[in-house]
Amino acid sequence: MAEDMETKIKNYKTAPFDSRFPNQNQTRNCWQNYLVKTRFHHVDQADLELLTSDFHRCQKAMTAKGGDISVCEWYQRVYQSLCPTSWVTDWDEQRAEGTFPGKI
Amino acid sequence: MTHQSHAYHMVKPSPWPLTGALSALLMTSGLAMWFHFHSMTLLMLGLLTNTLTMYQWWRDVTRESTYQGHHTPPVQKGLRYGMILFITSEIFFFAGFFWAFYHSSLAPTPQLGGHWPPTGITPLNPLEVPLLNTSVLLASGVSITWAHHSLMENNRNQTIQALLITILLGLYFTLLQASEYFESPFTISDGIYGSTFFVATGFHGLHVIIGSTFLTICFIRQLMFHFTSKHHFGFEAAAWYWHFVDVVWLFLYVSIYWWGS
Repeated sequence: MAEDMETKIKNYKTAPFDSRFPNQNQTRNCWQNYLVKTRFHHVDQADLELLTSDFHRCQKAMTAKGGDISVCEWYQRVYQSLCPTSWVTDWDEQRAEGTFPGKI
Repeated sequence: MTHQSHAYHMVKPSPWPLTGALSALLMTSGLAMWFHFHSMTLLMLGLLTNTLTMYQWWRDVTRESTYQGHHTPPVQKGLRYGMILFITSEIFFFAGFFWAFYHSSLAPTPQLGGHWPPTGITPLNPLEVPLLNTSVLLASGVSITWAHHSLMENNRNQTIQALLITILLGLYFTLLQASEYFESPFTISDGIYGSTFFVATGFHGLHVIIGSTFLTICFIRQLMFHFTSKHHFGFEAAAWYWHFVDVVWLFLYVSIYWWGS
């Protein structure tokens, strides 16, 4: 148990610096990543790999067991790290209802 | 018999400042009564007393100037400063609403969809009635300048004609804008877009009505031979105010109607 916790804590990362959003107010960063993630959500995993330039990184992720982070999973983790949980649940509900204001 | 040895106007005691202040109290408390208790009595009383105050106060100014000759050059200079300061304060008034508009439209929040116009808002086409409104007000600026020059050149008929055209154009703008308000697909309660749009354009429309009223008073005074080719500050003040209203519209058009679509 302690071992699992230690390895878990070692692997904890937060979203890296994104120079598009240099200021303290990170709302836009959260929003942008959520949008990108939901835009790619419907794309088939295989197609996504072909679309992204990180094709090789994705390929590596397929073979290695959870070692590398795949592209669409990446965005998911970024927004989950950055965004307040209540925002994410609100937006997920809105998307389900069809009232989400963003352009997906 | 003692006469003043200076050129300034020592105004005789007048009840209108007091009635004006009282009318302001009635209007403000009347608004509160209307908002919270659905009664318009105080408000109507306030509007009535306010209108009466304005009518009688400015009638007295006309009596003191045109009929009694108290408006010497230094007095007129003071009035010019006064009008300029007043218009400046109105510029700051509108600046606030433009600030509000730009604050919200330059950084649209997630609730709006992260873009401007927000999700769900279909803005008015700036090339339709709003463009016509722009041409109407610009034309009225031309006609009032024509009226002024005619007045300075002692051309009575053209002064009357040009002033009438200006007033009619102002009325035309008001009618067009009223119809736009009626037909608009969005309302004042449609988020921050609706709020900024209708508060800014609404106050502008109110100022168009005020300006048109001022011009109409000038029209009546011109008919009654109050103005001379050299002395007609009331007219000039109205003209300044009218140009100010026009300029505010141009800013509204470019910012809210055009850039904001």
